[in-house]
Amino acid sequence: MKNKVRFRILVYLLITTIVFILLFPFFVAVSTAFKDLDEVYSTPPHWIPHRIAWENFKHIWQKYPLAQYFLNSFIVASGATLLTAVLCVPAAYAFARLRFLGRKLFLFMLLVVQMFSPIIVVISLYKIVVALHLIDTRTSLILVNTVFSLAFAIWMMNGYFSTIPKEIEEAALIDGCTRLQTITRITLPIAMPGVVTVIIYTFIFAWNEFMFALTFINSIEKRPLTLGLYNFVGRWQVSWQYLMAAALLAIIPVILLFMVIEKKLVQGLAGGAIKG
Amino acid sequence: MSQKKSALWTTEARLAYLVLFPSIAVLTLFMFYPILYVFLMAFFKTNKLGNIVKFIGVGNFLFLFKNKAFWEVTLRSILWTVIAVTSKTVTGLIIALLLNVEFVGRRLSRTLVIIPWASSVPVSAMLWQWTYNSEFGLLNYTLKATGLWDNPPLWLAYPRSAFFANVYVDIWIGIPFMAMVFLAGLQAIPKHIYESAEVDGASAWVRFWYITLPMLKRVLLIATLLSSLWTFNDFNVIYILTKGGPVNKTDILITFIYKYSFQFLKFGPAAAMAVITFIILLVVSLIYARFYFRSIEL
Repeated sequence: MKNKVRFRILVYLLITTIVFILLFPFFVAVSTAFKDLDEVYSTPPHWIPHRIAWENFKHIWQKYPLAQYFLNSFIVASGATLLTAVLCVPAAYAFARLRFLGRKLFLFMLLVVQMFSPIIVVISLYKIVVALHLIDTRTSLILVNTVFSLAFAIWMMNGYFSTIPKEIEEAALIDGCTRLQTITRITLPIAMPGVVTVIIYTFIFAWNEFMFALTFINSIEKRPLTLGLYNFVGRWQVSWQYLMAAALLAIIPVILLFMVIEKKLVQGLAGGAIKG
Repeated sequence: MSQKKSALWTTEARLAYLVLFPSIAVLTLFMFYPILYVFLMAFFKTNKLGNIVKFIGVGNFLFLFKNKAFWEVTLRSILWTVIAVTSKTVTGLIIALLLNVEFVGRRLSRTLVIIPWASSVPVSAMLWQWTYNSEFGLLNYTLKATGLWDNPPLWLAYPRSAFFANVYVDIWIGIPFMAMVFLAGLQAIPKHIYESAEVDGASAWVRFWYITLPMLKRVLLIATLLSSLWTFNDFNVIYILTKGGPVNKTDILITFIYKYSFQFLKFGPAAAMAVITFIILLVVSLIYARFYFRSIEL
């Protein structure tokens, strides 16, 4: 009994330490976001602001085109999500249900491209984007974010469709449904959790993307949030309190969303390995 | 499965190609073609716009092999990946084991542990940049004030400490994923196995070594493979924290490729490094695949 109590205390102690270490930079961000400039640049630094500088959260909207950054990120992320969903569902259905020449080769290629970091591709992708006159446009970001989610999305939806018994569809076909009706009324509703996972995955991926934006976007008014924040770190004195305040606003919605779907994401990635 | 394999142009196949066309077209234009083009570029001399000028065979590769910085960066990439993936795996496993214990506040702890994963990587890197600040940053202040480290380094100022500062952030970002995947794996292990082992008098360590680890093997393999690929390809942390500095001493291949193409405009060597990166990752993946399929047979 005594052993059990001691074990319990140890667990609490360890988990508290770990959580504290993992959340450390967020504590820093919160502390800094509520300081004024003088306090940010005071030595030695201190954790609790002497005066809570609420005005930081007002100033960031006035001093930087933050609303525009949010809007750009939203446009890019929604565009990419919509395009990915529209493209991946029919493709994955074809892979899961139809037999055709090159099926295995395509599936294999989708797996291989996962090994290419976007950085490797961006060298020549840049040229293509220039050739299509898409440089410095949000369209370019929608397209590349779609492409880099698409392979994973098709794989995942393919897995979802494959788990749905063929017999259900066959029964519907016999009952007089057309193929399209079978898909839209029977298969798709069953595969909906997979579609939702793909949607959220793509949205978060595009929302957080930085490197393509850094490479393709020049104009201030077209920058997504990640790039916009990055440019807060200017050449001279950095207004860290503004950057931290804006960073908190940028990540809190995604963190909340993530907490809701985390279980699904893990299952999607680890599912195959666990079920074996 | 009564399909005739010889029939290539069946109604079914036609439907499949039709449905697949948009996806394949987009992937070809923005993924397959750029990848092929990079492989091509690696064997050509290129101008500052990245246009192919002249075939030079393995010239770009020879240029790299003679370059001391290239070897340093390659070695550092491997070191970076090994240190980061090992740390993430061990820490992730410890956290998963802790979160698998039933205690009040488990759900809350789980939610809090996920946060670094959920936060956007570029933004996290910016938070760390400020946290590491040698004069006004709260990290060194806290380390000193609590007596944990009386004389902490000026993290981002020197090659060695900057490297570890970068690795630490990469580990910090990767831990939650590992912890959650391992936790999912742990929860899939049937409880009765542990119970009967306990009845037989197996100690906690024996249970961990002979039940938990073997049962987690597949999850461990997949998670560490994914993590290795992601870690090797991590661009955001290093680019934002130190831009590879001081003087390339924290560059890994991925950031070096970016520098070579968009800063030095030497697209040929950059493409050659991209090919080398691909080969390294392919070899790692193949080794993993061997282990993985062997573990399935068992």
